[in-house]
Amino acid sequence: MENKIIIEKVAQCLVEASTRFRNDQIEKYEEAIAKEKNPEANWVLLNILEDARVADSKKIPLCDDTGIPHVFVEFGENVSINTEVEKAVKEGVRVGLENLPGRPMAVKGNDIERIEQSAGLFTESGALLPAPIIFKSYNGKGLKVTIMMLGGGPEIRSKTFRVFHKHDSINVITQVAEWAKEVSGQLGCTPCVPAIGIGRTHYEASVLMLEAMKDGDLSKQNKYEKLVTDTVNNSEVGPLGLGGNVTALGSFIKVGQQRASGVRIACMRPGCCFDPRRATILIN
Amino acid sequence: MIKIQTPVSEDCIKKLKVGDQIEISGIIYTGRDAVLPKLAKLSQAELEKVKVDIRGGVIFHTAVSPAGIGPTSSNKLEIEGSIGPLSEKGMKIHLGKGALSIETIDILKKNNAIFTITPPVTALLTAKIISKEVALFPEEGMEALHRLEVIDLPAIVAIAHGKSIFGESGEKLDGK
Repeated sequence: MENKIIIEKVAQCLVEASTRFRNDQIEKYEEAIAKEKNPEANWVLLNILEDARVADSKKIPLCDDTGIPHVFVEFGENVSINTEVEKAVKEGVRVGLENLPGRPMAVKGNDIERIEQSAGLFTESGALLPAPIIFKSYNGKGLKVTIMMLGGGPEIRSKTFRVFHKHDSINVITQVAEWAKEVSGQLGCTPCVPAIGIGRTHYEASVLMLEAMKDGDLSKQNKYEKLVTDTVNNSEVGPLGLGGNVTALGSFIKVGQQRASGVRIACMRPGCCFDPRRATILIN
Repeated sequence: MIKIQTPVSEDCIKKLKVGDQIEISGIIYTGRDAVLPKLAKLSQAELEKVKVDIRGGVIFHTAVSPAGIGPTSSNKLEIEGSIGPLSEKGMKIHLGKGALSIETIDILKKNNAIFTITPPVTALLTAKIISKEVALFPEEGMEALHRLEVIDLPAIVAIAHGKSIFGESGEKLDGK
């Protein structure tokens, strides 16, 4: 597998994730527009769909917070992963950010300066490094690269915490649904798409949440995902907080290994109106 | 749809009510977490010295980057904290997103200023920019105070005259 091809394909994938709604997103917005009774809320939904149309046709960002790249690399049996592959994926992310262009929001300086944002910002879009890349095998061939762009708004409202399950899964789901409902009013960029991971540790729950974003499909919702969506919609926060029936378009849940204990660790990221901003590309 | 031209008069604000759809044209300023606290500390004399006139002004809570413009959450500590001091100095329209606290609703009312919101539709909003320049704090890069000339920038009035589209139970100003 040539590094040049990986770089080119990953760069294309990043631009697609940042500029294009998938069909399940478009369908959900069309459903929401038909369902939403509040005229101001409807105006917001129509604007978001029109934004997606313009962003796709002009290949410009859906949102000016172009997000932090999160990359999932799944590799088939015929592929061996080495440092060259990782370097090529990172270079693909850099090229993709330059082509987009992404918001130049990489922070300069040492540990303290970066926390304080006191040494300024890099001017190059591509200086923004991706979150640690996840490599995982899969039943297929070649590389399957998924890029997700995570905006800052939902990060302010996300939560990873323990839940006592009391030997009933509904206790965990309803608790996490309440977390999502609580923050939906302050989010600002509703309708949202909460993503939830349930695991043994905070790290594991966060990765599972990311996997939920990677695999989730708004047209295929199980009863637990519907429960989260309905709970958030009962808030009547509505699009952009203007009130209405549509606060969440759907939800994604991923359940991992569990600890022999009365406690589960759940990670809830509420998402925003463009989530999940993701694209997947196959490289053979 | 109500068309608004900057600078915005006291009368214009008095007539606007929660839920009104507006389109703003003319000169506006932009700023977010990094520059708004610094801007809020400047006196009228200091603002005049650096040729920044916020009287009758509009401040859009956004960065201006090659990726475009789009509202950031206005209820972040440093942004919401700037709304009072800037309103006292004559800023009339604060444009961003998200619910604000009861304290901020009161401050806006006291100063005959309003809070408006717009969806984060960057591809559409960026097309409304006619020209842009850095007005102050260039060291902050994309987060610098920018002066934009815009045409028909769309928004909805969310908080005006003590009323909020988000209801009356605004959360406390805690940076969440």
